[in-house]
Amino acid sequence: MDREGAETYLRLLAEAAMRGSLMPAAEPGPPGTSRMMVVAHALTTVGALDPLVAEEILDDFRLAVSVRLLRSDPVQSPGQPVTAAQWISQGRAVPHRRPPAPRPPQDEPPEDDAVQSRPDRFVPVGLTVPFRAGVVSGELCLMSFAQTSSGARFIAAWEVSTPELESRLGRQHPGLIPFDLFTVTDDRGGRYQLDHTPGGDLEWPNEISLRPPPAEGIRWLDVAPPYRQPVRVDLRPPGGYGGAGSPPVRGVTGGSSPGGDAVQVSDIKLSPGEHLLVMLAERLLSWTPGFPHGGRPAGPPIGPWRAMAAGFGDIIAALEAADVLSPLSPVPARLATLCASLDLNGHGIAVPPTHDLPEPWLSLLAHYQRRKPDPAQMRDGYAALAASLPELDGIRLTLLGLQHTRGSSALHVLAQGQTPEPRPGPLDIDLSFPLSLWLRDSGGRWHAGRPDRCHRAGLESAIRLRLMPPLTRPADRVEVLAGGRSAEVRARLPLHWRYPS
Amino acid sequence: MTSVPNGPWYTPLPACEATVPCGQGRHVVRWEAGELRLPSHSDPEAELVLAALGGEKARCVEIAQTWRRHLADLTVLAIGPRSAADPVEVSWDDVDAAAQASQGGWGVPRHGAMKLASPPTAAIARAVSRRMQYQQEAGQASQRRLDMLSLLALGTGFQVRLSGHVIAAHAGRLDEPDEHGHSIVPALKAALAGRLAPVAEQWLGIDPDQVEVSLHRDGGWGSVGLTGRGEQRRLRVSLPVWWLARVWACGLALTGRHLVVGVERAGWPDAQVLALRAPGTEPVSLSAHASAGPPGTPDAPHWEI
Repeated sequence: MDREGAETYLRLLAEAAMRGSLMPAAEPGPPGTSRMMVVAHALTTVGALDPLVAEEILDDFRLAVSVRLLRSDPVQSPGQPVTAAQWISQGRAVPHRRPPAPRPPQDEPPEDDAVQSRPDRFVPVGLTVPFRAGVVSGELCLMSFAQTSSGARFIAAWEVSTPELESRLGRQHPGLIPFDLFTVTDDRGGRYQLDHTPGGDLEWPNEISLRPPPAEGIRWLDVAPPYRQPVRVDLRPPGGYGGAGSPPVRGVTGGSSPGGDAVQVSDIKLSPGEHLLVMLAERLLSWTPGFPHGGRPAGPPIGPWRAMAAGFGDIIAALEAADVLSPLSPVPARLATLCASLDLNGHGIAVPPTHDLPEPWLSLLAHYQRRKPDPAQMRDGYAALAASLPELDGIRLTLLGLQHTRGSSALHVLAQGQTPEPRPGPLDIDLSFPLSLWLRDSGGRWHAGRPDRCHRAGLESAIRLRLMPPLTRPADRVEVLAGGRSAEVRARLPLHWRYPS
Repeated sequence: MTSVPNGPWYTPLPACEATVPCGQGRHVVRWEAGELRLPSHSDPEAELVLAALGGEKARCVEIAQTWRRHLADLTVLAIGPRSAADPVEVSWDDVDAAAQASQGGWGVPRHGAMKLASPPTAAIARAVSRRMQYQQEAGQASQRRLDMLSLLALGTGFQVRLSGHVIAAHAGRLDEPDEHGHSIVPALKAALAGRLAPVAEQWLGIDPDQVEVSLHRDGGWGSVGLTGRGEQRRLRVSLPVWWLARVWACGLALTGRHLVVGVERAGWPDAQVLALRAPGTEPVSLSAHASAGPPGTPDAPHWEI
């Protein structure tokens, strides 16, 4: 990795922008700022450029451009004139190259050593618990149970119905979910409380914490809705502890991985630059809207996506300058094909497009180019899952449930391990999930998993991946393809769908 | 006439002056032979002592302090002018307006000291500490920008000379990281590229984006070569970072349609330079003679072969 090359590239880009060589874009701030920010974000994401240095370069660039606008002619100048007062107050309000800020506080996992050393437990559940509390009624659909060092929780879907509030709050608003009216007991008489995950997203009621965490030997939990018989959740892994369903990963109970030839691990070797480009490509693919409006295209990507695509040529050149992307890499040509297929012009990628696209990309492009909505809508339902995949780039991924609700499909996963430092920026890259995840349904169509919600606690991230496109039929078997920089895993999983009444 | 072989980088530069609003009047600030002088203030050090005791600090004295603070600041190269066609015009009214704005706050509400009804918890103490740190850093950033604006307000002659000083502060220490452990080479390479590209455009009519610059770090003057045609045309230039101070800052970069790549004998108003007539040729030794800059830019020397 050539850090000096990376910094030099960004500084030379600033010089080119200063000369007005970069196309003035319809963007706020000095012309060229968007492209510089995109390149800076790419270089910091792959670790080739210190974020503080990147910030310093961008800040100096803004100051340099805007000080020239103090006397500018608004007709001739590409940027808006500024006043001295505006100049002095723009940019960041910190001096150059201060020491790195501490990592933003996250929900700390319990510090109890006993809890920390306890093996993780992942159990598929697949039980529906109907409930009624006053005018509120519904069903709690338990997909899986997960217990790790950061606590115990159910991954669940809810169907809540209330005539008065439904139209205003939506059927899954956590405010409607009567957590406190449920009672949970174990086989030893212990009692637990259900709650919305602390620090979790109120718009994401799929992760329900269980407090206190059950002891290691607990065999089952009874989940009882108000005034109703409990539903028993068997916490023993399928096949029993150490049995046929025992995990392939040390320190995990339950969470069986599909055995035999159901899991294939292939070594791959993506450079940091290639990995970033693949992530960008998949963000683009999974963001691109479908065609739900009477068969008409929903329109090309706009706003930041178009700006991001406009920076692809610069990003690729910068990654090459930083020596994290080989000039012989096939990935830029694939990205060029993707841009051409999605009508994203002006991407600036120097290499010609290629027909050699990964199968999942082709599948998704074919979906978009079909240009008509899928005729059938899949019924709302969920499938229990608790499958731990072999470790990828130091991250252990456990699939904890698949859900389809009102035309939208989501895969719930838990990522454990050291993930990169978050790097907010224009590229919309989620480093808390630096992996590719694709799902192929039984009809052979691929669905991209796009991180949609994330709750981070210590070295764990509970993530909801929105599937693009959504499922159209309840597949009884899916293939999951998870890819990192060093390897990819293919796992075939049987599914048993359950449907709320 | 001064004529010093291997003299300081600024030897081929004449003195330059600016007038600065100071107290009730306007004072001259003068740069001469690498030093900033304040003719209207006979004892700036004594004035500083008085200011420390509560007296008002003269703006001239403040500027001299600011100048010294930024003699090795690489940001000067990122913000300062790249060529004669890139004027950075800042007035003292701009500086005053900016100073007033910076006193108005940085988006951080300025309250008095917080009164606590009970002893602060650790979390509150941390929050207060973070807030104080942020305010302190914001104040430093504000001061830094105000510094920069004041230095730019001195005019083009001072801006270019300050760039020369910054280059000179770093040119002999390319392999030494800055105080934060980062390489200084990228900033210097970008400074060279940003200033050489417009010179090359003027010299050959080449698109500045087709100029590729590298830092020459071995002995000799470097290399300049032209390759390719059309959009693939590239002018590949490798020059030592000293070129920025000894040649560019002294206004010698393009002299008599030659690209000056080195100064053999520094002097004012006569110097002996090493210059290229065209890319790919060997440099020749030429005598250059300077005259005052064109009207409006008296501080920028004009050299002729």
